[in-house]
Amino acid sequence: MEQDEKRRNFLKYLGASSVVVGTIGQGVLAEEQAQTSNEGKKPHYGMIFDQNKCVGCTECEVACHKINAVPQGQARLYVQNKTDPATPMEKRYVRVSCQQCEDAPCVNVCPTKACHRDEKTGIVTMNADDCIACKYCIVACPYDVRFINHETKAAENCNFCFNTNFAKKQDPACVQACKYKALVFGDLNDPDSYINQILHVKDAVRMKPTFGTKPSLRYIPVVKVGV
Amino acid sequence: MNEAIEFTVGFSHGVEWGWPIGVYLLLAGISGGALIVSLALRYYQRQSVETPLLKAASLVSFVTIVFGMVFLVGDLEKPLYFWKILINYNFKSVMSIGVLALCLYIPLTFVLVAIVFEGWIKEHLATTPLAKLFFLFPLLKALRPAVEVLAFVFAIVVCAYTGFLISVLVRFPLLNTAILPALFIVSGLSAGTAFSSLIASFFFQADAHAGDMKTLHTIEWPVMALEMLLLFMLFVSLIVGTSFDKQTAGAFFQGGYSALFWFGVVGIGFGVPLVLNFLLGKKVAHSAFTFYLSGTASVLGVLSLRLFILYAGQTFSA
Ligand code: SF4
Ligand code: SF4
Ligand code: SF4
Repeated sequence: MEQDEKRRNFLKYLGASSVVVGTIGQGVLAEEQAQTSNEGKKPHYGMIFDQNKCVGCTECEVACHKINAVPQGQARLYVQNKTDPATPMEKRYVRVSCQQCEDAPCVNVCPTKACHRDEKTGIVTMNADDCIACKYCIVACPYDVRFINHETKAAENCNFCFNTNFAKKQDPACVQACKYKALVFGDLNDPDSYINQILHVKDAVRMKPTFGTKPSLRYIPVVKVGV
Repeated sequence: MNEAIEFTVGFSHGVEWGWPIGVYLLLAGISGGALIVSLALRYYQRQSVETPLLKAASLVSFVTIVFGMVFLVGDLEKPLYFWKILINYNFKSVMSIGVLALCLYIPLTFVLVAIVFEGWIKEHLATTPLAKLFFLFPLLKALRPAVEVLAFVFAIVVCAYTGFLISVLVRFPLLNTAILPALFIVSGLSAGTAFSSLIASFFFQADAHAGDMKTLHTIEWPVMALEMLLLFMLFVSLIVGTSFDKQTAGAFFQGGYSALFWFGVVGIGFGVPLVLNFLLGKKVAHSAFTFYLSGTASVLGVLSLRLFILYAGQTFSA
């Protein structure tokens, strides 16, 4: 699917830059249609983690803790070191956090709808007051990225800073904190968004897609070339 | 896929649903199982009197499910907020559906107890303020057929939902199988039968080797065989599955939980009743000692099964 879309877009650009007049007309038309049909369409927020850029500094973790008041010893975000011990010089890090599934098991199983998808933004987030801390969402999440906040006694996940930075129309704290631009946040439904521009030119994968939850995070893995 | 991009850590602490949930799963199984068996027997045998088994089973089903609720609510980290679950419903959630079923099932078991113990209640509570409610008995009598049918249906629902509750957890290959709800109904039947037989015989003077008790004693073995078959199917589905499934099959052989399985589920749950009833001669098989020990062993076996499924299930994740 993703591949197809990329190819189509590629062709579209090709069409637009072509010298054949008819094709230009078509290309522009297609672009316009895409834009008008995008209006009124709900956003679909996603995030890219680029393994090629991440140096494992964990600035993102620190920022997330601070902005979202995550208690000590707990985390919405963790940077795991996956460097192969056999090749210690080739560092590999990976972001561990909620994958913002489009078909989210945590939302489906929550008996009180405390864990829910925000109507307007489509972001999976929490209403801590309604949470009875039954932990059903925690065991139901295929990615094991939820926890009961010790202080609020409610379940929690990375909600793209829904109540903090996002509410202030700012980029998520982790994205702001990353000096190496390994994190990109944006609307996947907006064809012009920066996140989509990157996805058009880079190969990205989803984490454990076989669970069928349609995660909204994209990972750009380090790929060795010329070996 | 490039393995260096897959994260392998999580934010939970391994087993998030621990023993209180395991005990709840057992109690719900006993409660539902006891009612299913005793009511089925009543229809099948066209009984019209309150048999010791029916008395025991109705009492057991009510008391166990109420205790079950205590464990269930106690396991919440915000137990005082449990009422939120009663006012917010999510019909996609097995837990919500279960809560709804319990909201009907618990009153049904209570009403059934009142109906079955009418004689006792009229005799012993006549001098208490509750006597004012005695006028309700004719009404209950009229409703009895409906109450019995509904109680029977909801007993099955309650047994099955406990299985579905954890079989939707996709992360855990041991739990995420179609066999689990069936296994929970069957093991619930076995624990419910065993427990209500014990109570019937101890408190309501049922003859351990005649009538209902004898019938139960004969259906006990096919039920146990079915339980073994389902466990075997579960195991086979894992060893022929994906690499995660194969890894999970290790739960039966490695680590502390495999001991729980072989010692608790197989040894106590299956072994003790089989040995006592078939291998040590007629005299032992017909003794009161065997009756009580074998019943207790069955219940402990099902407790071990629930705990094994829950703990081993949450230990091996895909
Ligand atoms: S990753 Fe887990 S917590 Fe996040 S949306 Fe998916 S199921 Fe929910
Ligand atoms: S722990 Fe809270 S958010 Fe999670 S399923 Fe239970 S009530 Fe819902
Ligand atoms: S988006 Fe916000 S909540 Fe999520 S990891 Fe980044 S800082 Fe934390």
